[in-house]
Amino acid sequence: MAELRLRDIRKNYGTVEVLHGIDLDIRSGEFVVFVGPSGCGKSTLLRAIAGLEDISSGEFRIDGALMNDVAPSQRGIAMVFQSYALYPHMTVFDNMAFGLKIAGFRKDQIAARIRQAAEILQLTPYLDRYPRALSGGQRQRVAIGRAIVRDPKVFLFDEPLSNLDAALRVATRIEIAKLKQAMPGATMIYVTHDQVEAMTLADRIVVLRDGRIEQVGSPVELYRRPANLFVGQFIGSPSMNVLGGTLARTGPDTRVELDAGFTVAVPIPTEAAMQGQRVHLGIRPEDLRPCSTDPLFRATISLVEQLGEVQLTYLDLPGLAAPLIAKLPGHLDLHPGRDIGLTAEAANLHLFDRHENAIRPAEAGHKVAVPAE
Amino acid sequence: MTAASSRSFWAGMSQAFLWALLLSVGVVVVYPLLWMALGGFKSNSQIFEQPFALPLQWSFANYLSAWQGVQGYMVSSLLITVVSTVTTVFISAWAAFGLTRTPMPAKPLVTAIVLGGMMLSPTVALVPLVRMLQSLGLYDTHWALIILYTAFRVPFTTFLIRAYMLDLPRDLDEAAMMDGANPGQIFRRIILPLCRPIIMSCIVLHILFAWNEYLFAMIFTNNPSVQTLPVGLTSMMSKQGTDFAQVFAAMTISALPIVIIFFLTQRYFIRGLTEGIGK
Ligand SMILES: Nc1ncnc2c1ncn2[C@@H]1O[C@H](COP(=O)(O)OP(=O)(O)O)[C@@H](O)[C@H]1O
Ligand SMILES: [Mg+2]
Repeated sequence: MAELRLRDIRKNYGTVEVLHGIDLDIRSGEFVVFVGPSGCGKSTLLRAIAGLEDISSGEFRIDGALMNDVAPSQRGIAMVFQSYALYPHMTVFDNMAFGLKIAGFRKDQIAARIRQAAEILQLTPYLDRYPRALSGGQRQRVAIGRAIVRDPKVFLFDEPLSNLDAALRVATRIEIAKLKQAMPGATMIYVTHDQVEAMTLADRIVVLRDGRIEQVGSPVELYRRPANLFVGQFIGSPSMNVLGGTLARTGPDTRVELDAGFTVAVPIPTEAAMQGQRVHLGIRPEDLRPCSTDPLFRATISLVEQLGEVQLTYLDLPGLAAPLIAKLPGHLDLHPGRDIGLTAEAANLHLFDRHENAIRPAEAGHKVAVPAE
Repeated sequence: MTAASSRSFWAGMSQAFLWALLLSVGVVVVYPLLWMALGGFKSNSQIFEQPFALPLQWSFANYLSAWQGVQGYMVSSLLITVVSTVTTVFISAWAAFGLTRTPMPAKPLVTAIVLGGMMLSPTVALVPLVRMLQSLGLYDTHWALIILYTAFRVPFTTFLIRAYMLDLPRDLDEAAMMDGANPGQIFRRIILPLCRPIIMSCIVLHILFAWNEYLFAMIFTNNPSVQTLPVGLTSMMSKQGTDFAQVFAAMTISALPIVIIFFLTQRYFIRGLTEGIGK
């Protein structure tokens, strides 16, 4: 049981500040995922929590106790490193036993704990092997085992799957999810740059960019109601299409005149003061569907990636730097050069102001978006 | 002749040439040693009359009496070599750990000072060292050489171990730290075992140095019971004058341990020489 509280955490390396004031509360037993592009400070934040980096200012508490100056091993935290960091000169058993021996556990206690962890992680046949004689997935499990045996209150994972191949990554992801179910009391913090891992594992996701928190929320919340354009584009694959435009009409019945040459009615109320301002309209590829009778817009297909179940369709629209992507059913007859009409549920349109912050929709109805006449 | 077979012909030629070159270098290096060892079996007169012949009879008499002569020096050499190897490698490993793993102010400066010791020429330091060791009462003792060998070899040994430690992943230290290990435990139980290859190299290199060192041994020891083999052999040579058979035997005996150690550990020796390059 452990509750984490971060208040205005800052970290500088010399004169460069890499964390710019992180505020975050993590509940006991929660599975929280830090996600963000490479270099945004995820590892730094995780290492600050572990105690491997001193924080430059701010407060970090576990269960109310100030941790700023507490040694890493005294925080009740175990960490699984990206490189696994197994001790190469020790057997699997000794790797797991190292921390327990230092903590002064008796031999039989150590053996019992390791036997139990090895059972859970299916490592029993490998206890006498050295890390170099294990596969990537097995090493990964040893690293997790080394964390489990210490029975910590908080588990930290720094990109634990990034060294595995694609198939193993999925299998291990599922194992980690099971591990969490088996230890409902343990608080887990997991770092990844992969939004699929974040979506599948997290109770709550923390999206970071350039040392700042962009948004905290459940996977569905982030997907449905991104707080800004960055989160909108970061969560979801392929990422959200963004079309620039200006607000042609404000009020409850907003109209956006897009650079692409058509106008869309968006059921998101806007203030009169915003009239004529630059905005961004976001549409997820999976929210677009073909519509021949009354489409939102028409476009020419430039490329089709057939994935079987779906086809990623790339469309050329005027005034757009990157092609628009639509995720359309796999059975449709699509080929480059064809003209196609597309539409989307009005409730699935996202609107962002010129600072790229979301303009929040009113309670979503299920109207179909209509082209404004 | 096709292009392929001509290429293989030249490849074979260069291979053969390489072998011939290595073989002749080997002969040039080994032959004098062999000649010396064989000389130990000959009589003094045969050495002069038939310098390149095999011994007339294989007599161990020279070796036996030479052994009587070098025994004492051998003990001193062994003692000084073993103790200074332990102290040098231990101090260097700790120093390298500190220089690579602990936060300290002005680390580059400290590193420069420690490694800068490699620049210090022993001859330059001789006079002050003699005065210092005399006033410490260590002059003409085994300790004098142990201390000097340690002091003068720590910079180089630290340099080698440090280069190796820089390449050990930081994650290991951090994992051990999370496991609750203090710096001493990280050093002893994680870093030191992982440094085994370079430690072995350093041990071999230091043994070679300490066994053969002449300048300090000659200046800082007087009493035959304290002197090491290189100095002992010179004094034997001047004492026995023209009994070359005896001298050859003594030299062979004193070279033997180091030759054996070298052959047993040459892979560490070579690694030691290449380590620290390209960093
Ligand atoms: N020891 C360090 N010294 C200076 N800058 C660092 C150090 N460690 C990380 N950084 C910088 O801090 C930023 C965040 O790094 P990191 O937390 O590793 O990112 P992430 O894990 O999200 O990819 C990066 O810009 C990186 O260059
Ligand atoms: Mg990272």
